[in-house]
Amino acid sequence: MSGATLGFTFAGVTLLAMFSGMPIAFALGAVAVGFMSVFMPGVALDTVTQNVYEEMASITLLSIPLFILKGAAIGKSPAGKDLYSALHAWMSKVPGGLGIANVFACALFAAMSGSSPATCSAIGSAGIPEMRMRGYSPGFAAGIIAAGGTLGILLPPSITMILYAVAAEQSLGRLFLAGIGPGLLMVGLFSAYAVYRYRKEHASAKQAFASHGATSAMLDDQVYTLSEKLETLPRVLPFVVLLIGVMVALYGGYATPSETAGLGAVLALALIAVVYGIYRPSQLTPILSSTLKESTMLMFIIGMSLLYSYVMSSLHISQDAAQAVVAMHLPKWILLAAILGMVVVLGFFLPPVSIILMTAPIILPPLKAAGFDLIWFGVAMTIVMEMGLIHPPVGLNIFVIKNIAPDISLRDVIWGILPFVGLMALAVLLMCFVPGIATGLPDWIMGKP
Amino acid sequence: MSLEAPGSSASKPAQLPEVLSALDHAVSRVNRWVMLPCMLALLAAAAILTYSVAARYFFKIPTEWQDETAVFLLIGATFVSGAFVQSKQGHVGVEAIADLLPDWANRLRHGITETLSLMFCSFFSWKSWTLFREALHEGFTSNSTWGPPLWIPYLLMACGMTLLALQLLLDVARRISVKNAGR
Repeated sequence: MSGATLGFTFAGVTLLAMFSGMPIAFALGAVAVGFMSVFMPGVALDTVTQNVYEEMASITLLSIPLFILKGAAIGKSPAGKDLYSALHAWMSKVPGGLGIANVFACALFAAMSGSSPATCSAIGSAGIPEMRMRGYSPGFAAGIIAAGGTLGILLPPSITMILYAVAAEQSLGRLFLAGIGPGLLMVGLFSAYAVYRYRKEHASAKQAFASHGATSAMLDDQVYTLSEKLETLPRVLPFVVLLIGVMVALYGGYATPSETAGLGAVLALALIAVVYGIYRPSQLTPILSSTLKESTMLMFIIGMSLLYSYVMSSLHISQDAAQAVVAMHLPKWILLAAILGMVVVLGFFLPPVSIILMTAPIILPPLKAAGFDLIWFGVAMTIVMEMGLIHPPVGLNIFVIKNIAPDISLRDVIWGILPFVGLMALAVLLMCFVPGIATGLPDWIMGKP
Repeated sequence: MSLEAPGSSASKPAQLPEVLSALDHAVSRVNRWVMLPCMLALLAAAAILTYSVAARYFFKIPTEWQDETAVFLLIGATFVSGAFVQSKQGHVGVEAIADLLPDWANRLRHGITETLSLMFCSFFSWKSWTLFREALHEGFTSNSTWGPPLWIPYLLMACGMTLLALQLLLDVARRISVKNAGR
């Protein structure tokens, strides 16, 4: 069988296995083992398990369950609600402040928990009812939360980035830092849009009131006294300290990324014990059990994706495909657009972890040859995969929102989310023109590579 | 991304043959029991890595065993809880075509995918046991200076994958029973 035929057969069988609805982990493993038994020497099959073990037994990858534990501890406590109320109180004076408070709360919570769906449900369950009570249209409220939640895979410690760093053999510390600039840019863009949209909705509410006396909750001002604002602080401060503490431990050179994961999990558990009194075994069991459920599912996908890429590279499929892409001599930016377009489409169906591990061996060599900085590309790819998380018709966060607010119609949610998908695309475009948005911070803190 | 727990219809109560029903009870009991050690392993790994930072910076003790111990604990917890996750339909798949197909086709599809998953996991658990036996006999250790024996994680991997294969076997059996009951 020629290289190209083998490659297409491999891709076809993978697609078939994936769309058959077989669990992703087993589908990837079965395809890998199937091709090994047909196209590789029989002895290769004896090394399958050792191969998976050796690929998985990396402390960087195994920091993922601990980051999930940290996120679950924060996510299952009332921390999200408290963080949200504090920001809401402090931003009540700003026009559109409620929307901004929601974006900020999502960003902070995402950075603490590292999970998009967890952020959507923690901030959204307090934020969506509050915004709707204040007269925000349902779709707009849903859009802010769905988009804000995606910041979880961009801001450190992002599980997606851990995998990218492993797959692309890039420095994880540098990649984490590179996510911060674009993350802040997106917080800015989302907030600006929230203010614009608020003004528009506020103006039409005002007009409706003037023309036929229809009142809207949007026209009422909510005022917080200084003491009310100060009261919200003590419950939130410990978590901000956790966030900053973990960053200092990592970038101050005190801890490796995996140690940071362990330290973060221990600190998060200690904080919810002290602040919310969550320490009894009966309270901790749901946290640990949901951590295991999510992390085991992910680690199985990761282990089997690694086996899959090993087979792809042993059969020279990834090298041939990468060479074929390089040989097309596409202009630099067309190559990037084509690759990102493919990531968007894959993002409709697959979780970011499998996209990264399955495509990295094929797409990274051509990008490197075209002169792209792989840290920069990691951030761009992450934002594009975030679009997949909220992109209609099948984004994961859409379903989380439907769970929190079942009475908002899917149509409203989707229309509310679309402008934010546009803003994410704008962020990637801005990063293309000004790469320093991503690479500036790591270069400044860690020096040029 | 449309990721759902595949084959949720498999969880319908169905009358399993006696042997399988005994196996079903045994597997669910083991799944419940092993969750506690898995949870403790997570906590222990987090604690060990935290200790590692403290030991290095406050007590100036060199750290050599911590990372690997954490790896063993976390990899053990991952494999051993695999069957529990499967019993909760937690291993996600792409269910994009589920709505496009009629019921009978979806049932057939689930039957095929579950059988393929069972075959893969059985193969994997068989090879894990071979690997474990080899590591035990040959005394394989990891490459680090500490060099702990590798049969420990291999044993956990083999046990976890065997439990997972049994869980999948039960899923397939349950589906066949549902089909027979429907006739």
